[in-house]
Amino acid sequence: MKIKIKYFSWIRIKLNKSEEFLNIDDKTNFEELKKILISNNNLFSEIFKDNSIKIFINFKEIENHQINLSNGDELAILPPVTGG
Amino acid sequence: MIKILKKNFSIDEYYEKIKSNENGAISFFLGTVRQDLFDNETNKIESIFLECYRDLAIKQLEQIRKEALKTWKLNNCLIIHREGSINIGEKIVLVMTSSSHREDSIRSNEFIIDRLKVEAAFWKFKILKNQSKIIEQKEKDIEKSLKWSDIVNEE
Repeated sequence: MKIKIKYFSWIRIKLNKSEEFLNIDDKTNFEELKKILISNNNLFSEIFKDNSIKIFINFKEIENHQINLSNGDELAILPPVTGG
Repeated sequence: MIKILKKNFSIDEYYEKIKSNENGAISFFLGTVRQDLFDNETNKIESIFLECYRDLAIKQLEQIRKEALKTWKLNNCLIIHREGSINIGEKIVLVMTSSSHREDSIRSNEFIIDRLKVEAAFWKFKILKNQSKIIEQKEKDIEKSLKWSDIVNEE
C-alpha cells in the first residue's frame, strides 16, 4: 500500500523535503513505520525521541503508535507550532 | 468564517461581514509583524515566513471557533490568518468576535488567539536576506492557552 508523509519546519529543512510517498506492506502499523523511517534516515531516531513532536494521521493526532495504517493515509510529523 | 490567505487583507472587508444590529460589542485582535532582531547582534529582520499545513490548520481553527461559540454567547466569530511571506508591519492574523455584551466578545477573542498560537499548524520563520531562522514556541504561550482549559467547553 501507499502512504503520504508530510514534514514541516525544522524537520522539513533537515530532510530537505516537504513530503514523500512510501510503499509499505499491508497491515503495517505506525510503530513499524517508525523503524522503516529510522532505517532510511537516522534523523528519524531524533524525531521520534522528541516528546514535543506530534503525529497526525488523516488530520487527527495519534497517541497510540500501534495504530494500523491504511492505503492512502496522510501522515504528518509536526514540531511545536508558532502561529498567530 | 475561517480563512487562510496568501495576500494581505482589509479589516473593513471583515468588519462588514460581522456587523449586525444584534451586536452590542465587537472585539478585534490584529497580530502584526514586529521588527525583531534576527540574531543576538543588531541585525533586524526584513520579514517573516509563515509555513502552514493548510488542511489541518483549517480544521483546528474551526474547532477553536466551535469551542468559543459553545462557551460564550457570540453572534459571530471570524478568524483570518495569513501564510507565506509577510513584511514588517503587515497583518498576520485577525480575530473578530461579536456579541450583545462586551464580556463575551472580549473573553472569547482572547481565548481564540491564545489557543491558536499553540494549536494551529503554522510555523514562523524570521527572514533576513537569504537567511531564515525558526521562531521557537514560547512556554508562556503554552501557559496562556492552558489557563482556558477550565473555562472552555472542549470536545
